[in-house]
Amino acid sequence: MKKIISLLLAAVMLIGMMGILAGCNQGGNKVAPDFVMPEGGLDTTNEITITFYHSMGKNLTAILETAIADFNKIYPNIFIEHKYIGNYDAVRDQIKTEISVGDQPNLAYCYPDHVALYNVAGAVQTLDVLINDPTYGFTAEQIADFVPAYYNEGKSLGDGKMYTLPISKSTEVLYYNKTFFEANSLTVPTTWEEMEAVCKQIKTIDSTCIPLGYDSEANWFITMCEQYGSEYTSTDGENFRFDNETNRNFVKKFQEWYAQKLVTTGELCGGYTSDLFKGSDKNGTRSYMCIGSTGGATYQQPTQTNGVFEFEVGITSIPQVNPENPKVISQGPSVCIFKNADPQEVLASWLFAKFLTTDINFQAGFSMSNGYAPVIQSIQENEVYANFLSSYSTANIQAYAVKVAVEQSNAYFVSPAFNGSSDAREQVGLLMQRCIALTGSDLDSAIKKAFEEAVAECKYQAGQ
Amino acid sequence: MSDFKTMHAKDLQKTSAQQRVVLVGVKVVTYLFLFTMALIIIFPFYWMIISSLKEMDEYRRSIPTLFPQILDFANYAEVFTSENLLLGRLFYNTLLVGVVSTALSLVITVLSAFAFARLEFKGKNALFAALLATMMIPGELFTITNYQTVSTFGWKETYTVLIVPFLVSVFYIYLLRQNFLQIPNELYLAAKVDGTSDLKYLWKVMIPLALPTIISITILKMMGSWNSYMWPRLVANDDAHRLITNGLRTAFTDAEGVTDVPVQMAAVAVVSAPLFLVFIFLRKYIMKGVSRSGIKG
Amino acid sequence: MVDSKHQWKAWLYLAPAIVLLLIFTVWPIFNTVRMSLLEGYTTMKDVAGVSFNFGIGNFKNVLEYHGFITCLKNTILLCVLTVPISTFLALLIAVALNSIKPLQRFLQTVFFLPYVTNSIAIGMVFAAMFNMIIGGGVRPDSVGIVNNVLEAFGFDYVNWMNVGSEYWANIVVMVVYIVWNALPFKILILLGGLQSVNKQYYEAARVDSTPRWRVFTKITIPLLSPMLAYVIITGFIGGFKEYSSIVGIFGEKMGPVGQQYSLDTMVGFIYRAIGNNEGRASAAALILFGIIFVVTMINLYVSKKKTHY
Repeated sequence: MKKIISLLLAAVMLIGMMGILAGCNQGGNKVAPDFVMPEGGLDTTNEITITFYHSMGKNLTAILETAIADFNKIYPNIFIEHKYIGNYDAVRDQIKTEISVGDQPNLAYCYPDHVALYNVAGAVQTLDVLINDPTYGFTAEQIADFVPAYYNEGKSLGDGKMYTLPISKSTEVLYYNKTFFEANSLTVPTTWEEMEAVCKQIKTIDSTCIPLGYDSEANWFITMCEQYGSEYTSTDGENFRFDNETNRNFVKKFQEWYAQKLVTTGELCGGYTSDLFKGSDKNGTRSYMCIGSTGGATYQQPTQTNGVFEFEVGITSIPQVNPENPKVISQGPSVCIFKNADPQEVLASWLFAKFLTTDINFQAGFSMSNGYAPVIQSIQENEVYANFLSSYSTANIQAYAVKVAVEQSNAYFVSPAFNGSSDAREQVGLLMQRCIALTGSDLDSAIKKAFEEAVAECKYQAGQ
Repeated sequence: MSDFKTMHAKDLQKTSAQQRVVLVGVKVVTYLFLFTMALIIIFPFYWMIISSLKEMDEYRRSIPTLFPQILDFANYAEVFTSENLLLGRLFYNTLLVGVVSTALSLVITVLSAFAFARLEFKGKNALFAALLATMMIPGELFTITNYQTVSTFGWKETYTVLIVPFLVSVFYIYLLRQNFLQIPNELYLAAKVDGTSDLKYLWKVMIPLALPTIISITILKMMGSWNSYMWPRLVANDDAHRLITNGLRTAFTDAEGVTDVPVQMAAVAVVSAPLFLVFIFLRKYIMKGVSRSGIKG
Repeated sequence: MVDSKHQWKAWLYLAPAIVLLLIFTVWPIFNTVRMSLLEGYTTMKDVAGVSFNFGIGNFKNVLEYHGFITCLKNTILLCVLTVPISTFLALLIAVALNSIKPLQRFLQTVFFLPYVTNSIAIGMVFAAMFNMIIGGGVRPDSVGIVNNVLEAFGFDYVNWMNVGSEYWANIVVMVVYIVWNALPFKILILLGGLQSVNKQYYEAARVDSTPRWRVFTKITIPLLSPMLAYVIITGFIGGFKEYSSIVGIFGEKMGPVGQQYSLDTMVGFIYRAIGNNEGRASAAALILFGIIFVVTMINLYVSKKKTHY
């Protein structure tokens, strides 16, 4: 036995020594060069194959394939190999691993924090030189056509450069039980004060209900920061700035709401807030308002009996701190382009990205099939799409949600992106849950402690 | 087995009435215990089946129903007709990878276990301990390095990359070695005196005696191929090579990341069926293996 | 015994295993050691050509983590509770199965079923059994099947895993789940072992009318000891790597709502570090390796003394 142990220890030490030796011999720079416009522009004779990773499920893939066919009518020599990887995180993990051997795709679905991660490796192609190219770039009208907040998300890394183009965006809206509101002559709230009053009013009508459900705790926290104008995160200096007086106060207010059973959240209710709203459980608790993503509109649709909905749904903007200066979160996929040794591939990728973001058919098809808002404004002049938006109703709940999303396009905000911004998002979501569920007497110090720990965890995870 | 029964009968005749009561009592307790455990164990399986028969709306209900109110076989229809799930191809890939890697893995495992259990060579104990030690590091960390290795070999999106990297399992070598050690060394020495070669001895004596364990390993390895997820997704997630679990996880998820669980469960039930049949078939084999293991003395 | 011809043969038999292990296991371990010694190493930075300081900074970084003690405590607690319980239960079931004749085939099949049950389903069924739906009234909308059973026997319902649940309740859920998960494999192995045990020992015992518990402790256990050693040692190794079962019940946040990461484990920590800090992840993995190594050595030492071949 002793012999085995000593031999093993020797083996472990040997491996350790090898590790030390290898430590001195570090890998060099494996990054492809920055893009330079090839002489003569796009090669229109030879085949160019580019790969595109995405998260488009069943019905969206069909729309993507139509778009690729349309794209190939203009550029017949560019072949697009598209691949469904999984959800957004799966795409990020896959690409992160592939970057380590230089095998990343040409384009990918992304969120700003993914780009921040890839950019640590210097693998992302900045788009400015392509956008400004007189032949292949955007025209001034095209840039102006984008919903400004969506377009500016491409600059959320904070260095003034464009890294991404928006594909399609979702937001949060307030779903309410119109039948119930009308029957009890309730007013749909537009501010958080009105929200509190309406919730208390509802509670007197139905004492066992929870009037409001908020799906995403993280979105709630980040949106409140934005609405109050208080700090959340920043790309320069101190990254994690959400531990401040204003934020602690609104969290405390919502804790009181939760204690009075005026509100619940996706995680806290142990189920889906949309299920409370649509009342799929006959004997269960109900809610009469729900704040959730436009992308999940179909899950807010009440159950039908013999083709009749149990109640009519109304959709409107979420409550605001200051209705004069509304703020709502913007989420959903963008597309980024990776650096490549072959400038033709980069150029072809750019043309495809440009096509996806500006093609009316793709933008309309994407939006109509899943409740995301298109990123270009001119689409509303398209007849098919205008018809879609005007068909809004409880039955066409997706059209209803998109309609509300499109109407509030001046209110969108985007949080800064940096390596660690996803940790901040996760931590504030957990913080919100933890604080709202607090019980006991000394809430203030418990909340203070929770905030401090969340910031500490963010810093540790980000390696600061 | 039949010897066992006659012995048992003779014993019973000899025992007094009181002892008989005790025996019956023991039997009752044994069955009661087994049935309770079986009920607990089988519950997730039951859950999988009833979930696969629920409508999405009923499934998402916050208070789950123990039996579907409406039996919705449409989920099964969707599994077979879905364009997102190339079921035939997934089956073929999984079966190919499963059978080839199980066969190769068994050969490697048997040879290694034999070497560790019966042969003497310098550094045997150290090597065995080192093998055990490799099990102690969480394998997730190997993914990045192994990914780089297979990329260098140019194995991405091939069957090779799904089969070769995980052929050796220290777990199985260890398990089989433990089993081989139980077989009396005298048999081996006698065989050597008779001039029987190692391989012949292995084939004629060791393998039949350790058949239950070998079959267990076969099942485990097959299940491993069936359930492997992370690695195949990383290295061979193309239509030509995709394996069943990856196909299932992604085929019924919409853009919002919401999975149609009932359909997914139906798909799981469909793809589990062959495994289940294989087990029923192999279980008989285990019995045969046991009854053949008639070493006396 | 040890002649050169045999030496040569042994290595020949081992060659395929060794070659594959060198490429796909030893080399990654070696790389892990390398990454652990480069301070603040991440693959993204490596690709960008950043050079790292050589040292033990990553190890210090892991030990200084404010949640490190939680990770270690949870890991050890779950391991110490689940391995003995699951081994004991599996042994009882295997022996019981082996002792019956009618329905043996049927029950054997039943005990194998979890193997063909998808892991997604197993996680979900547990959540459904223990989950409580809080709702707006005084009493929760639903307390879960387990609580329904408790109430039927006159006990109060327990908040097992939801907002405001207590640590011990979370641990109970995890222990039940892990044991449940571990049973089929252990039953399979132990039953396989029992069925290859020589029946004559039992026949001899029967003729001598040895009491059952004596047969169990003096014949069954010793004959089964190699298999038992196997399931216990691999059980401990697996137990120290506990992660996916906790995610299966409590989700990626590894804890009840409002107390996330209260059930974090060593591998949970490593997983999160792989995402953004491979140097730290490697260091943590080597620390975990050190712990498992010591425990396995103790296990091997004990089993060497107790195992009967």
